[in-house]
Amino acid sequence: MTRVVRAPIVVGLVLAIIGFAFGAGVLGAIRTARGQSFWEIEVGMSVGYVFALIGWLAGVGGWQHWGREWFGLEAKPYTLTGWKRYFGFSPDHKVIGIQYAVTFIVVFLLSGLTAMLIRVELMRDGKQIFTPDQYNAAMGFHGITMVAVAVAVLLGGFGNFIVPLMIGARDMAFPRLNALTYWFVPPVAVLLIIAVLMGGWESGWTAYPPLSSLHTKHGQVLFNLAVITFGLVSILGGINFLVTIIYERAPGMTWSRLPIFVWGAFAASLISFFFTQALAAALLMVLLDRIAGTSFFRQAEGGSPVLYEHVFWFYSHPAVYVMVLPGFGAALEILSHLSRKPLFAYRWVAGAMIGIVMLSGIVWAHHLFTSGMAPYLHAPFLVLTEMISIPTGLIFLGAIGTIWAGKLWLQTPMLFALAFIFNFLMGGVTGIYLADVPTDLHLQDTYFVVAHFHYTIVGGEIFALFAAIYFWFPKFTGRMYNETLGKIHFWLMFIGFQLTFIPMFRVGIQGMNRRIADYPHEYAGYNTFISLAAFLLGSSFLFFVWNMASAWLKGRVAEPNPWRASTLEWQVSSPPPEHNFDEIPVITDTPYGYGGGPAHHRPFAGGALATEEG
Amino acid sequence: MRRDFTLFTIVWALVTAASLAVAYFILRDMSFPTHGAEEASVIDDAFMALTYLACPVFGIVIAAMVVALLKHRSSGPNNGDGERILGTGSLPVVWFGVSSLLCAIVIIYPGLTGLFELRDHKDPDLRIVATAQMWAWTVEYPDSKVKVFGAQELVLPKDETVEVDITSIDILHSFWVPAFRQKMDAVPGQINKIYITPDRVGDRESDAAYRLQCAELCGLGHAIMTMPVRVVEKAEFDAWLKQQQSVTEAK
Repeated sequence: MTRVVRAPIVVGLVLAIIGFAFGAGVLGAIRTARGQSFWEIEVGMSVGYVFALIGWLAGVGGWQHWGREWFGLEAKPYTLTGWKRYFGFSPDHKVIGIQYAVTFIVVFLLSGLTAMLIRVELMRDGKQIFTPDQYNAAMGFHGITMVAVAVAVLLGGFGNFIVPLMIGARDMAFPRLNALTYWFVPPVAVLLIIAVLMGGWESGWTAYPPLSSLHTKHGQVLFNLAVITFGLVSILGGINFLVTIIYERAPGMTWSRLPIFVWGAFAASLISFFFTQALAAALLMVLLDRIAGTSFFRQAEGGSPVLYEHVFWFYSHPAVYVMVLPGFGAALEILSHLSRKPLFAYRWVAGAMIGIVMLSGIVWAHHLFTSGMAPYLHAPFLVLTEMISIPTGLIFLGAIGTIWAGKLWLQTPMLFALAFIFNFLMGGVTGIYLADVPTDLHLQDTYFVVAHFHYTIVGGEIFALFAAIYFWFPKFTGRMYNETLGKIHFWLMFIGFQLTFIPMFRVGIQGMNRRIADYPHEYAGYNTFISLAAFLLGSSFLFFVWNMASAWLKGRVAEPNPWRASTLEWQVSSPPPEHNFDEIPVITDTPYGYGGGPAHHRPFAGGALATEEG
Repeated sequence: MRRDFTLFTIVWALVTAASLAVAYFILRDMSFPTHGAEEASVIDDAFMALTYLACPVFGIVIAAMVVALLKHRSSGPNNGDGERILGTGSLPVVWFGVSSLLCAIVIIYPGLTGLFELRDHKDPDLRIVATAQMWAWTVEYPDSKVKVFGAQELVLPKDETVEVDITSIDILHSFWVPAFRQKMDAVPGQINKIYITPDRVGDRESDAAYRLQCAELCGLGHAIMTMPVRVVEKAEFDAWLKQQQSVTEAK
């Protein structure tokens, strides 16, 4: 019994409740002294939450393993072993990687289930299962949770697990910060779920004021608190990756020998680090307009709703590259190893990633072509946005050059990586129509946009995510997934995805706008088809979950290097030993030595890299 | 390798031709909602121009994938490596140059040319004021002091250029009639203008493209924030306006 009571999550929860009571109580006392009511829900929740968050982080391990040192006490050692490590504060990047990956895949499935409910509602015109209010709650929840998954699942899950191994490091640069960063995530999920249980919020994931600042339900406050907290995850994670990749590379791991996935993680971290503040600031301003009576966006008091759109997209457009750059990296990595071909035009591809980072910060206003912003801004943002196609084109060159004349081994991860090329091609090409002002004036806010960003984010990043999951599953778990189930998952997901989203382009052009609980009867035919296809897409994940669960519990034991790949993470046991490498390897060549004879297959020196067999 | 290039060229030509044919014969006629205003041409032409340009680019990637999938499969990791092609030669330079050129073309036409064509508006024959609120539109004809609201019809004359002054009294909304294509947000405290020249008679009963639809998420009633639109001949419009005036005066 005492063991359960001392479990980090239980301690965290208890301290969170105490923290909330303290914060809300002090606030209530001040309010009472000023002659106001003790409890005001929005201010109370906001102030209480800040202290609840501190209590949670301290209780879950931040105090025991770190905070004590600030007061001259000795930090407690890490005693949890086995599966319990995943439910506590652990500085091991491999534990943290699995914590992120599993958490976000659970959120992904939950959010996908919400999408299925949305498709039930939209199957016909008129009301099916949701009132407009419930529809908006479901849509907002699907939107923000999927954005969070897309931002953090590849970087947080695979970046944490794989990047230190790939560069020959024993851990991330700041292991305790890394652990702390992960433990910010559960409060975000809890806040969003409570917000939905309280009736949701009506402003979607974009939270445009004055709707979000003057109207909508109390759930809006929880939404803002959740997204600001999540911003912290992004910024702290970004710093950790940048420092790790700059300073923790093994001897000989020069920038031109970095595996491309590390370049993707590096480029994405640059964006998280530089731009996330804008999102947090925008949502903090909305929050203050609601609870503190400021007037950032109250037009009547001199505020400007269009200001919010600028600040919000100043982050939220670069954010799509936080999502997709690690996806590029993972897909290209897999294409190279499973084609047994060097990555084509490596330096151009790495340069293109940095080019995307630089352009990403100066294209945001293409989201505002119909906002009524000054018309002279249209032309420069049209030009800059179209220019993103140049570095993106180089990524495609890298992909098709790599599979050209290769030896394509069509295992599940390879199928997902190839599908990534096709899907991102569709997403990229349709993006041109939205960067072009004349076509955007019609297409803005229609299902064409919905189809476009699902092609780039789901078709691009999420397909790359599944490629990464199947590719690195043996390294994560020490077991092999079932290939047949993997292929069934792939084909159902690929076909379901195309059938769902291609008709959306069409119905969008035809005049169906997005984010609506009901639509004119004329669009019902398309929507019935889209819903049925979406259920097919949804069903593919049953095979995924079954495969993952059964393989992790009782799958065939995996060898250290089932793919015969030459990057460092495959040279250690599966799963890797806690210290990663017995001795730090010395890197002597690029990891893409395929076709250069056996000498190029071991681009490192240092003998046996790991001794513990999983 | 030589055979690969031959196959690549054939597949590329086939995919490009097929996608151009689909674009020309199917998309061009079937994709768009009713073409209800002169300005719609700029937008529809731009859409088709981008589609035609995209076809050969699409073809390159698909052809490369088809060649790799047809000719270069392997049953496992121990069948030797692919050729050691590093891509350090001139191909990336050429690719970079050609894609930059394509990008420049798209920026100029249909991008900037279309933008300036839409911007280049004529003197309006009629001015209307569209005011948004949660969750209904009010449209005023200031010159004749006529006002329509909610489920009443927004009536416009054919072949007259209309200036629409768009604003909101509460939160963000957006003015969009699919038949006219252009979209503009309604922002409180700000008047945004678009110019529309309807060139075809039409109405909501027979065509969903003739509806004024809010296109910026505005909460509970967003989906139903619509107003039927009817475009009529000028004479009929004048008669309608006169009749509306007498209704207003009778009140």
